[in-house]
Amino acid sequence: MKETTTSPRLLLAQRVAAILILLGIWWLVIASGAVPSMLPGVSQILAAIGKAFVSAAFWGALGKTLLAALSGWAIAAVVGVVAGLVIGSINFLDRSTSILVDFGRSFPVLALMPVVIMLLGSNARMEIVVVALSCLWPVLVQTVYGARRQEAAVSDTVAVFRIPPLLRFRRVLLPSALPFIATGVRISASVALLIAVGVEVISQAPGIGRQITLMQQEQRWDMAFAYLFFTGMVGWAMAAVLQRFENRLLIWKRQEND
Amino acid sequence: MTAPVQADSQLAQSTLLMKVRGMTMSYGSGTAENKILENLDLDVNTGEFISIVGPSGVGKTTLLRCLSGLLHPKAGTIEVGGAIIDGPHPDLAVVFQDYSRSLMPWMTTRENVAFPLQGKGMNKADRIRVAEENLAAVGLAGQGGKYPWEMSGGMQQRVAIARALAYNAKVLLMDEPFASVDAQTRFDLEDLVIKLKQEFGVTILLVTHDIDEALYLADKVVVIAEKPATVVDVIVTGFGEERDQVDTKADPRFGEARARILHRLRKN
Repeated sequence: MKETTTSPRLLLAQRVAAILILLGIWWLVIASGAVPSMLPGVSQILAAIGKAFVSAAFWGALGKTLLAALSGWAIAAVVGVVAGLVIGSINFLDRSTSILVDFGRSFPVLALMPVVIMLLGSNARMEIVVVALSCLWPVLVQTVYGARRQEAAVSDTVAVFRIPPLLRFRRVLLPSALPFIATGVRISASVALLIAVGVEVISQAPGIGRQITLMQQEQRWDMAFAYLFFTGMVGWAMAAVLQRFENRLLIWKRQEND
Repeated sequence: MTAPVQADSQLAQSTLLMKVRGMTMSYGSGTAENKILENLDLDVNTGEFISIVGPSGVGKTTLLRCLSGLLHPKAGTIEVGGAIIDGPHPDLAVVFQDYSRSLMPWMTTRENVAFPLQGKGMNKADRIRVAEENLAAVGLAGQGGKYPWEMSGGMQQRVAIARALAYNAKVLLMDEPFASVDAQTRFDLEDLVIKLKQEFGVTILLVTHDIDEALYLADKVVVIAEKPATVVDVIVTGFGEERDQVDTKADPRFGEARARILHRLRKN
């Protein structure tokens, strides 16, 4: 891993600098008056972030959004991994479903929302279903890809030692596809959050997305930006946790590549 | 894999364990048919070490894949212990040439050795014990917690041998097992296999392109050649149980046998 040659302190300094430069540009743009005056300045947003941090309504909304995002994501991860391993490891299934998978991955699930709302109503359950449907595809596509790439030597070994199908599934197919699965699961984690917030904006189901819309209607642009900021932070934290988990789980993969 | 067979090796030598008759293998069909093996016969007695030697590209790997049940021959029969074999069988274990890929990198060496036993339904305590015993037998005592990628190529191939031993098959099939390690490691592994044969009475069928290796290891060398490949010569080495990398190879019979095989292979 080449990037670890940069010292952690320097890396942190670089990242902080990138954020500061972005904030500086923002401040400059506002100060120059080139954009409509309703766009809040850096100091107003910082104040709003502080305000949101101590507001019960904000934490309640964040909890609802996270619950929906994580539930949908978890369902998608389990279904996507199991289905992906089965499809990717069985040749004729792989061939016959490839059109369906390609169709599904490029299908805008948000466009289906009116139908889902009609079926399930504008509630948390509907939100979870839409999140799960959106997260399924990255996991499925990556898992199929991982399961296809079985080493010939590994397949021979499994055949010669007559490893039963279920054991093979759990101890050979799953771990060998794991590097690809991990990528799919990580991608779909950010998709989960985006879709959850998006669903709330469109359907007005309770959560961060609804709060953002409410704040916009009240012309509280600073609060709307503060909520967006926290959504970004949550997404970043989820990715960081997953990356750490992935590094530990895939220690063999990293060593192998060195 | 317990009782050493020194006492009844006389008896064991005379028992036919594996019988191959008329094995024929080809890829494709009709005018595009590419015949690889033609009407190949082979007898393997219990406790015997047989080397199959032939030039590169003659179809040695195809032969071993047929014997191990990974490929279905177009014609002919394989019998082990009197039963006809069709596909992978618990009486056959294989050590592959590509050790680094045939071991699972996400399992420790202990788990790699124990894995086929899990497939046989052995309970966890037993399979861990058997795995440790077999790792010790190949000189890797106490190394079960390491991952294959933490080990040298020679050590990885020892793990693959331990896995095949632990499977407790009647016949151990080895496909050019030492072709991708350095010369010194190769000698060590050859001597390890000879030791395992003496200690555990394993019956071994090894495929190689290396004439010296074939002669040094085997009780009987089967020479395959021509296209499609068939058995062109069988040589009983007669060096006895004890082998030595220097002395055995200096034996005049070794030189004679090598000349005979080389002469036979160069005729094509």
